Amino acid sequence: MSGESITAGRKRPRKRGRFLPYILLSPLVVFIGALALYPTIVTTVQAFFTVNPLNPPTRFAGLANFRALWHNPFVRQSAANTVLYIVVGVGLSTLFGLVIALVLQRRSHWRGIILALVVLPWALPAVVEAVIWGWIYDPTFGVLNSVLKSLGVINTYHVWVGIGRVVSIVLIELVQVWQITPLAALLILAALQSIPQELYEAARVDGAGRWEMFKRITLPLIRPGLAVAMVESLILTLNVFDQVYVLNGFAPGGASIMLQTYQISFNNLNFGQGYALSLLATFATMLLSLLILAVVYRRVEF
Amino acid sequence: MRRGRLSTQGRAAPVLLALVTLVVIAVLAAACGSSTSGGSSPSPSASAAVGVLPSPTPGSSITVVYHYPAPPKAVLAQFTALTGVKVNWVEVGWDNLQTKIAAAATSNTYFADLTDVDWSKVGQYYKTKWFTPLNQYFDVAALKTDMPQIDTFASNNQQLAMPFDSSFTVSTLNTKISKAAGVTATPTTLTGYTNALNQIKTKGTVPNPLDIPFAAAEGLSTYWYQTTAAFGGQVLDANYNPLFTQPSSPGYKALQWMVNAYKTGLVPKANIGVTDYQGFTSEMAQGRVASVFSDYAGTVGSVYNVPSTSKVVGQVQYVPTPGASGPAQNLANPDGIGIPVTAKNVAGALAFIKWFTDTQQQAVWAGLKGPSDVISGFPLPARVSSLQLLTGKVAGAAELTSLLKTSRAVFPGPGAPPWYSQFSNAVYTNIHQAAAGAETVQQAVTNIASQVTQLKAGS
Repeated sequence: MSGESITAGRKRPRKRGRFLPYILLSPLVVFIGALALYPTIVTTVQAFFTVNPLNPPTRFAGLANFRALWHNPFVRQSAANTVLYIVVGVGLSTLFGLVIALVLQRRSHWRGIILALVVLPWALPAVVEAVIWGWIYDPTFGVLNSVLKSLGVINTYHVWVGIGRVVSIVLIELVQVWQITPLAALLILAALQSIPQELYEAARVDGAGRWEMFKRITLPLIRPGLAVAMVESLILTLNVFDQVYVLNGFAPGGASIMLQTYQISFNNLNFGQGYALSLLATFATMLLSLLILAVVYRRVEF
Repeated sequence: MRRGRLSTQGRAAPVLLALVTLVVIAVLAAACGSSTSGGSSPSPSASAAVGVLPSPTPGSSITVVYHYPAPPKAVLAQFTALTGVKVNWVEVGWDNLQTKIAAAATSNTYFADLTDVDWSKVGQYYKTKWFTPLNQYFDVAALKTDMPQIDTFASNNQQLAMPFDSSFTVSTLNTKISKAAGVTATPTTLTGYTNALNQIKTKGTVPNPLDIPFAAAEGLSTYWYQTTAAFGGQVLDANYNPLFTQPSSPGYKALQWMVNAYKTGLVPKANIGVTDYQGFTSEMAQGRVASVFSDYAGTVGSVYNVPSTSKVVGQVQYVPTPGASGPAQNLANPDGIGIPVTAKNVAGALAFIKWFTDTQQQAVWAGLKGPSDVISGFPLPARVSSLQLLTGKVAGAAELTSLLKTSRAVFPGPGAPPWYSQFSNAVYTNIHQAAAGAETVQQAVTNIASQVTQLKAGS
């Protein structure tokens, strides 16, 4: 009897213990399932259907949505624009992030203040930043024209956003770079701070200069951090919307793939094509992320 | 055995978790997709005769989501005192509101009891059945004389909304600037108008005297429709065929005129990124341009004569819209107020529409009882009788009353096509591109016409 009761007494807490992790995890799983998994499944399925309130009913369309997107010149142009947004955004945010991280790594009294200032753009909503930069770029009373004219770089005020495609995209993307660079800087800073100081001391003993140490120690050892920062920047630039909408409206010269998705879905009410374009954007994000990880990421062990 | 048993139990927990997750997701999805209409509201068929509204339930409430600021609380309280229905007014910007209407309707979710029905969306809403027809509640034929723009909200004889206000495009001129440049007579033809603008530009009073909002947005499309009307035509016929493909057509000439105005410097270069609203508030109100050809009725009183935001107080006047051989017709672009099919309190919503569009109340929104009771930015009353009450109290009320009576719909007859949004998208995108130099006027016209053909084929 006593033996049985002891066994039973032991079993009960073990059963509870077995389920406890799942119970604790379930809210998160439900949350992710409802807000990520379910929409992903719906998007994937509906991408192969005609979903258009102006052309009911919803019906299977096979690859028709994808073919229509391929033949849509505005989708092709926005895809090309998005490539440019990615190149400028990922390149500059990684470069500036690295520079800022290197500055922040040095011990200084100003480090806390610099860190707070650097993080500030990250904390502001993208729409607010776009409005602020809209004033800077304004062709009539913007600061950019005023400064360039006073420096003698230009003779008359210029229209910066809306005329030339490449200039418009670069200037719009600069606004996003301003916002996302702090995240890149913090990720790279974390990687920098994990490098053991002994490596630098040994290199100094061997007569290595600062550039040599950066090239042969710092850069190879922060590759995991760089890769994560670049993937984060990639995701954000591929999904750029707010800055484009505020600074350039629906003008095709600067339209991004997300702006086009919005147009197709909510302006044209062609939700099937909107789903298909979202799905393509998701695949593009995954493929480019894997490419970055394959090229940049290296496992580092100290 | 033990390992095997443990292993089986170990799989049971994740499976259970997965099942629970799926059930919760299914419940959430069902909740999201379920209709929330009904409640204590009577069914639409409850009303016995046209013009007889079902009685609202005292103590109930309605949610109005609109792109205008809420009327003053004290005035809304008058409605509550009258009907017992409390009003929750939510202001959402026009663009966001259109997205919300589409998102809520496609997911069959409650969104509001009353919301905006833009003139351009009527064909779309007729086809999608997102709004409750109001024919059985309001005697549309009897109201037509007093509400000249009421037809704008009907498609295939279904009245999908009642006019929230009245609005039509007008031309405005800064008389101080024009007189300083030696323009003494008000031009009534497009040739005279263009000459006057060139004269202002040459004299240097303002370097770029004309406002055309060339940003790729709805305002640019509206500008083209009005300019086409000024050249004596319209952009689509009654069967929605393009009427602008020939160089001799009014639509083609209008597009050419607009792009030329930009390229020759009549329009500020910065306007490539300027929307219609920015044009009124930043360009015209600041005295940087002398004229808006396709302005909105009411801007003299609500924008240009407001000292806190305008530098041209008392300088801007409505002028007859210049046409090919004399004053042109003005195009109607009013806002409507309608009841989504997912509304919870239809009776309350109907009572609110009746009260809101009443002769006296429409005049109050525009300033009849002074500035404390107005809806900020409200253009003009929907009723001629309300405008008559305002004569002598609001700038240009007499001229606007006659313009309201003669204004016409952008798409006379059938109303806006169901695919208007895509059409407008093609219009503003291609005109913007033509002004930016990315395509020629001929290419823009061809692209817009090609889009119309595709949309017609797909509808």
